[in-house]
Amino acid sequence: MAEDLVLELKRLIIDTLKLEDITPEDIEDEGPLFGGGLGLDSIDALELVVALEKKYKVFIPDSEVGKKVFRSVKALAEFVKAQRA
Amino acid sequence: MKYDETELRVRFNEVDSWGMVWHGHYTAWFEVGRMALLRKFRLLPQDFAQMGYLAPVVELKCSFKEPARLDEEILLRTSIRKPTKAALTFIFQAWRKKDGKLLASGEETQVLLARDGRMLYYLPPDLKERLTPLFAYLEEPESAA
Repeated sequence: MAEDLVLELKRLIIDTLKLEDITPEDIEDEGPLFGGGLGLDSIDALELVVALEKKYKVFIPDSEVGKKVFRSVKALAEFVKAQRA
Repeated sequence: MKYDETELRVRFNEVDSWGMVWHGHYTAWFEVGRMALLRKFRLLPQDFAQMGYLAPVVELKCSFKEPARLDEEILLRTSIRKPTKAALTFIFQAWRKKDGKLLASGEETQVLLARDGRMLYYLPPDLKERLTPLFAYLEEPESAA
């Protein structure tokens, strides 16, 4: 189940941010999403926050929480799982 | 989309050695247009600061269609996209009054920071409240037909 969520989140990131040349296999489970790795920026964070709220009803209020949640796809999956429980 | 309008004249120091307005000055012109719009709704940078927010620019796009020249009267049009996320995207146009030609168009996106440097991922209620009349002002009137 956890692996499915990680894959699902990778697809959400790719679709939301329209990362045309990226596949889920290109995104490391524990690699950084921001500042290296995918090289996402602050506007990308805002897009993701909206998409995550829409799909999973999770609330990420600011970059303080975002720093932990967006550390990696695995960290994001743990956050979504915890919020759902 | 409806625009707020303001005007300026091209100054001597804005013209380059080819006799055209240097492209970097359009950013400052867009700022003139933005301030004119935001002033109407108490949303100037000092108003943001008073509410506890900063709004740095994170993206700027501009395309240049025709050159502007010394002393020409310029019409600046400014609008804003209704936000779908916690960012404000302003849309700008600079027109030459004499012949109605579009000189440049662009957009600028700002995000929101709290005083402690945290980037806010949602528009705060007090800011939303201040933005509501601005969006109402920029809405196209409904057609009478």
